[in-house]
Amino acid sequence: MAFDIDRYTATSVSVHWDDLDLEDFRDHPLLAGALRTLRYMADVEYHTVCYTRDLLTTPSHREADVSAFMTMWNREEFWHGEALAAVLAMHDITVDYDALKASRLKLGWKDRLDPIKQSVLGSLVGSDFVAVHMTWGAANEWSAITAYQRMAELEEHPVLAELLRRIAKQEARHVAFYTSQARDRLAASTKAQKITRFALSRFWAPVGSSINSTDDVRHVMTHLMSGPEGRRAARKVDDSISGMPGLDGLTIVQDALDGLGIPA
Amino acid sequence: MEPAAFDVREFARTAQGSLRDDLDLTRYAAAPLRGDVVRVLDALAVLEGATMAHLRNVLVTPTHKDARVTAFLVTWAYEKFWIADALRAIVAANGGAPRGWSGAASDAGTHRRAASAGRGPVRRALAGFAQGWPVIGVHMTVGLVDDWMLRAAYERVARASANDALDAVLRRILDVKERHTRFFQEEASRRLAASPKAAGLARRELARTVWPLGSTVLGRDDRDDLVRFVFGGSEGDVLAARLERDIADLPGLDRRAAASVLRGLAGGPAA
Ligand SMILES: [Fe+2]
Ligand SMILES: [Fe+2]
Repeated sequence: MAFDIDRYTATSVSVHWDDLDLEDFRDHPLLAGALRTLRYMADVEYHTVCYTRDLLTTPSHREADVSAFMTMWNREEFWHGEALAAVLAMHDITVDYDALKASRLKLGWKDRLDPIKQSVLGSLVGSDFVAVHMTWGAANEWSAITAYQRMAELEEHPVLAELLRRIAKQEARHVAFYTSQARDRLAASTKAQKITRFALSRFWAPVGSSINSTDDVRHVMTHLMSGPEGRRAARKVDDSISGMPGLDGLTIVQDALDGLGIPA
Repeated sequence: MEPAAFDVREFARTAQGSLRDDLDLTRYAAAPLRGDVVRVLDALAVLEGATMAHLRNVLVTPTHKDARVTAFLVTWAYEKFWIADALRAIVAANGGAPRGWSGAASDAGTHRRAASAGRGPVRRALAGFAQGWPVIGVHMTVGLVDDWMLRAAYERVARASANDALDAVLRRILDVKERHTRFFQEEASRRLAASPKAAGLARRELARTVWPLGSTVLGRDDRDDLVRFVFGGSEGDVLAARLERDIADLPGLDRRAAASVLRGLAGGPAA
């Protein structure tokens, strides 16, 4: 299934919420637990551009298509951050650039070494490594959609639900790009399948794990992905990932939840 | 450091997207552009579109920690994407075959080596450790100088082509780029003024950068043609002198730093 990059770039817009009545949060505020999850999500969205360096340190064909996608993708994700920040602002929680900078500073050495590690790995295994990135991206975008859907269900707040629906709709286009890229590369190379299986089962962690404390990750996962409903949602993401060529049987999301001790 | 005045949120909110609706491409049928102008526009499209390679080089360093700068760069890349798109459309309308786009033949490996300008992400990341926070000032200075060069290029193209349809588009493009220049100028000035280390690193980086940014992808001949078109002749001398003066006037930089940029422009990659 080909992804039409020209159509995507021509129709990429920043998510809008000026027609939504955010004042409604003043009368019907979200609870502290939900706000903590929302704050986490906003951080992840704002941080997206930082992943650009990882993706681009590895060889990739059709650079122009990938560049075009990344340009729009970065901007859409930035605006997801802004939209969530607008909701937080209605609860007197300010997300400014200085606060984001502070949270990026906390990352320390692990983060600083990432681009080097990625690039060395990338040149070792060549273009097959791009399959890892693309599959990784798909897993993250599926996770994002699932997280927003779960959040909307749990909070039962009509304004929040509509905003999250709009965001998730854009995440679905991101999924389409990453899966079309990943599928082609996985289908073309059993080596790519093996490397991707290995990297995902060994290194994958829920989106935001590298930029938030384990406490925050556990809070968000418990909030959104615990209990039978949460597990069902996790299984759905795993089913999508394991449906890719050569990845059958992978259960990375459920494994991660088990690893964090999130009650099923 | 001086406080920042540029409003990044406002910039992001009012970003300029596609220029396609205002290109008036049919007008070129009656008044086609000169071949050398088309070639320069084609080269400019490649340069404007080279944002992701540049972002990669910049984001492997501590610059990625500054959320205000990365927020700016996201919208900057978006606006430049659509500038490149407009230029390609004009090239195509004048019988050219725009490069650097879907379907364009390009070997990924060669492209990547060229985009890294001799220093790949590993070397840049390692250098970024050693350079620390001042490297943000360096990146802002490099962005500023590149913006000044491309502005000179658009001005030269406008004068050489004397074409109303193109003039209107170039004015739009320069308007869009004016905000980029303003951000880079403010950031470069306040960071260079605040940190002698940033100024020292900037002098070194200016001397070894392959100008304009992204031009290694063009290939040597096309790059030289572009530089000659923009900075050649007596009109070019005036633009080069302005560029030299502007660079020398930045805090912590001087005529020597400015001269190193012009040497790099004239001779290709500075040694
Ligand atoms: Fe998002
Ligand atoms: Fe996304």
